Amino acid sequence: MTTHRRGSANRSLVAILVGIVILMSALNPQRFPTLSNVISMAYQLPIIAFLAIGMMVSMLGGGINLAIIATANFTGIVTMLLLRAMAGAATDEASLAISLLAMGGGLGAALLVGAAMGFLIAYVEVPAILATLAVMTLLNGVNVVITRGYTWSGFPPFLLGIGNGIVGGIPIPFLVLLGVCLVLGVVLKRTRTGVSLYLLGSNPVAARYSNVPVRAVLMREYLLSALFSALTAFIMMGQLNSVKANYAESYLLVAVLACFLGGVDPFGGAGTLSGMVLAVVILQLVSTGVNLLRLDPFFIQAMWGFIIVLLIAANHFGARYRERRRLSAVALAEPAGSTPPAAR
Amino acid sequence: MDEFLRLHDIHKSFVGVYALRSVEFVIRRGEIHCLVGENGSGKSTLIKIISGVLEPDRGQMFVEGRPVDHRGSAATMARGIQVIYQDLSLFPNLSVAENIAIAELKEQARALVDWRAVRRIARAAMDRIKVDIDPDALVGELPIGLQQLVAICRALTSDLKLLILDEPTASLPKRDIDNLLAVVRDLQRHRIAVLFVSHKLNEILEVAERITVLRDGESVGTLPRGELTDEKLVALMTGRTLSETRFRLEAPRPPALLEVRGLGKRHNFEDVSFEVRKGEIVGLTGLIGSGRTELALALFGVSPAERGTVKVEGREVHIASVQDAVEAGIAYVPENRLVEGLIMRQSVADNVTVAILDRLLDRLGLLDLQERARKADAWVKALEVKVADPGVPVQTLSGGNQQRVVLAKWLAAEPRILILDGPTVGIDVMAKGAIHELIRGLAGKGLGVLLITDEIPEAVNNCNRILIMRSGKIRLALDTAGIEAERVQKLVEARS
Amino acid sequence: MLKRLLRQNETYLVILIAVLCVGITLANPAFLTFENVSGFLKSSSMVGIMAVGTLFVLILGGTPDVSFTAIAQVVEYAVAVLTLRYGGNIFSALLLAAALGGLMGLVNGVTIHAFRVPTIIVTIATFNIYFGMMYVITAGKLINVVHPMFKRFGGILLFPETSRIGGTYGLSLMPLIWLGALVLGWLILRRTFIGRSIYAMGGNETAAERVGIPTRRTRVFVFTFVGILSGIAAVVHLSIVQSVVPNIIVGHELEVIAAVVIGGASVFGGQGTLTGTFLGVLLFAILNNGLTLLNFSSYWYNVAIGVVITAAITISAYQQLRQKRTRVNVKVEA
Repeated sequence: MTTHRRGSANRSLVAILVGIVILMSALNPQRFPTLSNVISMAYQLPIIAFLAIGMMVSMLGGGINLAIIATANFTGIVTMLLLRAMAGAATDEASLAISLLAMGGGLGAALLVGAAMGFLIAYVEVPAILATLAVMTLLNGVNVVITRGYTWSGFPPFLLGIGNGIVGGIPIPFLVLLGVCLVLGVVLKRTRTGVSLYLLGSNPVAARYSNVPVRAVLMREYLLSALFSALTAFIMMGQLNSVKANYAESYLLVAVLACFLGGVDPFGGAGTLSGMVLAVVILQLVSTGVNLLRLDPFFIQAMWGFIIVLLIAANHFGARYRERRRLSAVALAEPAGSTPPAAR
Repeated sequence: MDEFLRLHDIHKSFVGVYALRSVEFVIRRGEIHCLVGENGSGKSTLIKIISGVLEPDRGQMFVEGRPVDHRGSAATMARGIQVIYQDLSLFPNLSVAENIAIAELKEQARALVDWRAVRRIARAAMDRIKVDIDPDALVGELPIGLQQLVAICRALTSDLKLLILDEPTASLPKRDIDNLLAVVRDLQRHRIAVLFVSHKLNEILEVAERITVLRDGESVGTLPRGELTDEKLVALMTGRTLSETRFRLEAPRPPALLEVRGLGKRHNFEDVSFEVRKGEIVGLTGLIGSGRTELALALFGVSPAERGTVKVEGREVHIASVQDAVEAGIAYVPENRLVEGLIMRQSVADNVTVAILDRLLDRLGLLDLQERARKADAWVKALEVKVADPGVPVQTLSGGNQQRVVLAKWLAAEPRILILDGPTVGIDVMAKGAIHELIRGLAGKGLGVLLITDEIPEAVNNCNRILIMRSGKIRLALDTAGIEAERVQKLVEARS
Repeated sequence: MLKRLLRQNETYLVILIAVLCVGITLANPAFLTFENVSGFLKSSSMVGIMAVGTLFVLILGGTPDVSFTAIAQVVEYAVAVLTLRYGGNIFSALLLAAALGGLMGLVNGVTIHAFRVPTIIVTIATFNIYFGMMYVITAGKLINVVHPMFKRFGGILLFPETSRIGGTYGLSLMPLIWLGALVLGWLILRRTFIGRSIYAMGGNETAAERVGIPTRRTRVFVFTFVGILSGIAAVVHLSIVQSVVPNIIVGHELEVIAAVVIGGASVFGGQGTLTGTFLGVLLFAILNNGLTLLNFSSYWYNVAIGVVITAAITISAYQQLRQKRTRVNVKVEA
């Protein structure tokens, strides 16, 4: 997406964001526009943010990662297994060293899954939607078999600190999110892999013919996506102090939605971190605002559906409006007698 | 009434910009007519108006003497006018019979499908133009020449009076082109008029009865075939005259840049040996299916060879991937520019620098964005790509400029050997000449060029040697000095 | 003839299923008995019916529909409640189910076409709307008592036999309804113009528009059909379990989609057969049943399916890769 098109799409998102803040504040003047609420949202945002960004990363190259949540759950389960192996029954008192080791193991498990997906997609050339669907099903099964459906809890203080801690008034998960976003921004714009990813997503054939190491890039893409699954897992473990085989399953579709809202092209090649961040913030604002209204949670769920439809419609009409403005701008710019490409 | 279609004083503009102005156009019943013009001349717009997709701002259209006052493709088909676009509009997942019959089925508007009727309709259409294709074959599995015939058969299922073929021969090998032209002459016998919209000058002059030239949205003239020569046609299309001198190799026996010995790959090519020396432009030609592109793809690492050796500047190289080839100094400009050569929605600058990303890294291993922008600017200027801002998507450029971007990309990689596959296909006559100049300049700077082409005149004019391939092997190597294009054409088409 | 058979996906599925059957029977002879087979056919009827709808969506092209389970759930609830209150017979129940399901599907189809948004996005939204509203209206209550017609309907047995412990078993009507859905799907896809239009749109939607195929009507038809089938599947489910648990049907969307894909439908659109869809669902049913008979806990179900899907797609992709590499591009002559 050329920068000025992304800029105007971002402006629409900002407008929606402001609109929602005003709406929610009006509906909930006592509780919504308060500092404690902002902090509370800052705690919750990173989970959906990491998932959505992990999904975006997989979409940039033209694929999708349906296994993103199953991988997160798998990470959590492996981490707990390692904790138990090293700290016995007293996992909730495990030392920093043991915690870090266990987390490292969990991360390794996630990267292994990422590598498996990358291998299937890059080297065996299985379509991404199928490969990640298969891995998701397999992982869900493995997760259930290992945990037998039970919820495991008792995470050590270090992890709980990551999930619930606060530094200088800012929740740690949010700080982690900021840091990761900064790094990812650099990766996407200034590393060879990141830039190649966009090119590959736009046209895999031409990318290959243009000296882009397609297989290596795809492999790294899914490793990166799996990394975000791991990050999600650590925050979840920290905040909820538990892991379960099928946690957050419904978030998969929310992640896909966030990508759509954030301007990620599901066919690959387009999507910005700024758009994603705005999209995720909007979704979080809506979620919190609606929760504060203390409505029936299922009514909230239904409302989500309506909101999505509204957003789709807004996107649709917004895009048509922008296209019309662009065409008339082109007409003003071109000298008479020349033929713009669109007209041929 | 001898006239089938008449367009009178047609005007059409888009968002304040003229596409067509005062266009007069007549097609007679049963004639073979050609519409030629460069990109941007308004050809596509005119076709869309004739087929009813667009409505003119001013002017009138008459079909069989009656004025036309409603539009839409259904109405057009009812008037007996059918367009076959370059993408053929076929369904690759459906059978030949179904592809042919589907338009007719839609017209009948019956809820149920009678498969016997489908076969009957398909067979009838195929019989009309004397072709025989397996009706149960999936269209997606047919070679493109046959696919085109399927598309024509579908057009025949309605009461066809005018068939419009939009750039039909752009990607066809010679044998299929001959088939197509035979079919077109057959249609003429059935009093069906055919309107060719084409770039390729040879076929036009061969088969057309009358030729209409469009330039900058105006009809510059309609002339019968007898009165038109290649030069006159080019002059009308561009408003200028074009002449080309032959390429000559100046230096005596320069060092070899590329040496290929015994290269082979099963089902692709066998026992290929040749050289490209510094400053040479070696032509590689042969009918489609001769193995030329496969050879190029092997040298470029897309589809590596199984046997044989390749030496670049005397050093043996092992090419198993595109990365290997580029590192060895080989670059490949593909024939299918749109799909294989360019990443359409990305900017010109991005496309120009895509092949050299690994050379633009700073000390931290990150991309040096300024250096990247500098390199992009430099190469855009060096190749005279006409674009105001290298940040615009490359899809907004004209065909000739897009080809320059592809060339820029590869020149930025500083290759020793440049393989060009059909570099001027689908490019306007004037732009063609400019690209040829460019290529000669590159050879002059010391590159070795391997020019793969279907157009024998292009090969004869621009190469100092020509290699002719057939059935996977190089059959002949000729020096172009003193040889005429017709002789080479005959050698290419010879059986043995 | 043999070559064409070998190239088809269904052949491999049949072989796989045959191998599985042999393997399971060897381990537990109770597998290939009429009682067992009729049992697992009955319990997979709901999924089987929904799979037919999913096939239509996949052929049409684009991303899959994920709201059909929510539609089925809503219909199940509505039918249970309304029949309790107003009575009626099984035919009126089926009619109501089809109408309600069809209506929800219609909304899907219209929205997807109007906004030109990927199907998966719209159906995420409608999933949430339908499911959420249902929960709000019903307050998430389980329904343990339903109109006796469902027990009767579910209990009709063809070829009844008495088992050794005194119960009766036989071929239930549910698999026959599944068969009916398959046949109906086949008739539509093979013998009607709208069915061929679905394939055409999946193969090349622009060409379909150019030829004059009514794309909006076809698209809306597909999603309405999915809704109708989901409604009927709901009644089938109700007849089998005679209760309504609010979230028992939802959650299996990706499983159904996987079964249809294994059956040969392409994720890119334009391809897929009813035979393949049937075989895909049958494969999963046999896997599930096999696991039970071999005394594996149900936890292993997902793992088993995951392994099968992974193996199937890997083999399929690898085959395509090899085909690409050994394709005859040039007839090399001496």
